[in-house]
Amino acid sequence: MNAADVRVRDFLADSLALWRVAGKVEAGDSPTVAVVRADAGTIVWIERPSGEGLPLRWLVRWRGAGEAPGAPREQHPRACASLVGMLNTVRGALGVDRGAAVRIAPAPADA
Amino acid sequence: MIPVSVITGFLGSGKTTLLGRLLRDPGMSRTAVIINEFGAIGLDHDLIEVSDESVVQLSNGCLCCNVRSDLVLTLGDLAARREAGTVPPFERVVVETTGLADPAPILHALMTDRNLCEIYALDGVVTTIDAVAGLSTLESHAESLRQAAVADRIVLTKTDMPGAQADAINEKLAVINPGAPVLPIVRGAIAPSALFDSGLYNAGARHPDVQTWLAHEAVAAAGGHARHHHKEDITSFCVIRNEPVRAVTLALLLSALAENCGVDLLRMKGIVRVAEEPDRPAVIHGVQHVYHTPVWLERWPSDDRRTRMVFIGCNIRESWVRGLLDLLDAEVAEETARQSIPRAACAQ
Repeated sequence: MNAADVRVRDFLADSLALWRVAGKVEAGDSPTVAVVRADAGTIVWIERPSGEGLPLRWLVRWRGAGEAPGAPREQHPRACASLVGMLNTVRGALGVDRGAAVRIAPAPADA
Repeated sequence: MIPVSVITGFLGSGKTTLLGRLLRDPGMSRTAVIINEFGAIGLDHDLIEVSDESVVQLSNGCLCCNVRSDLVLTLGDLAARREAGTVPPFERVVVETTGLADPAPILHALMTDRNLCEIYALDGVVTTIDAVAGLSTLESHAESLRQAAVADRIVLTKTDMPGAQADAINEKLAVINPGAPVLPIVRGAIAPSALFDSGLYNAGARHPDVQTWLAHEAVAAAGGHARHHHKEDITSFCVIRNEPVRAVTLALLLSALAENCGVDLLRMKGIVRVAEEPDRPAVIHGVQHVYHTPVWLERWPSDDRRTRMVFIGCNIRESWVRGLLDLLDAEVAEETARQSIPRAACAQ
């Protein structure tokens, strides 16, 4: 069992709790790191893309509640360059609204 | 920068009594006061209390009839009048909220408005809690809980009155916001220096009182783990790191906190050892989904150079924050290593 993948799944389980989404996070077959199953019916698959030098770290597929297998986003995953993007995509797939965030990057040291 | 302090507290908790006493103190001369009477941000009333002849005098409501009921406009107008010399050159602003206000929108306004941020800096939040009725108020009014949770300092009022429950309230506050010092007072009597001038956002002018502001030891001592308040499930915990945090990781962390925690994160504050600037700590500060631009201090305020971040919120697990930081750290380290390989290869 890949320890890094376990950490990702634990983190996603905590994320569901944070977003107040009832559901569970399961392991998947490689390259799927985690499968999020919301009690409301949405399923999200999170993968690590294979291939050297790709400018992306995560692929997220999902099937909304009530959608048949092979839903558009299940066929065409969304690529994410970072964990933050992956979280945003999973949150969106689950229909979680956390309000408008104000993101501020660190200012230069001499600012 | 002109420091702005926010005084909040539930209805009847003694905000006005406190303010009245403070304004009679010579240490509060040159202070402009904004009283928020209606709405979350609406400012509908006279701005200034007069403490002596040398301070701002607007006793005939000469500002209240001109300003619109909005904190940003009011502060902007005040700054313009100060610049024009039509009001005395005040050196501090105190905003008193309504008793039912969630102070977060006021803090957001102070943290995000570009024009205001060039003139004003949030100094801190003072919350009054009534020693007689405070316990039941905290139990039954979410507004009161939130006011206590965002406080940098808590003033326990009416401690001399029959029925005061100071010990029980202290016990409850140690769960809600263990980092905020609780200062018992009688009839509003307290020195301004005990409440204001954290100096945090005026770095360079004074030595910032980061230790008091952060008070992470108190949070850690409250259990080392999340402490829960049974009603609102408010938790507080402290994340400490010995290793420096990369600037990119910090930026991603703040983004993720803002985007995922939303209104559940009542208050976050921290001092961060950034890998690229290890001798100059970055001070970070967030209220709900809004984060203040990190402030770089000239030096560490003590020998403790660890990254320390305090979180107060509802439904936020300590394991989520730690997991987020660990995963981001690993991701950034991996990406940095990956990008350095071609350069190393070229060098050979």
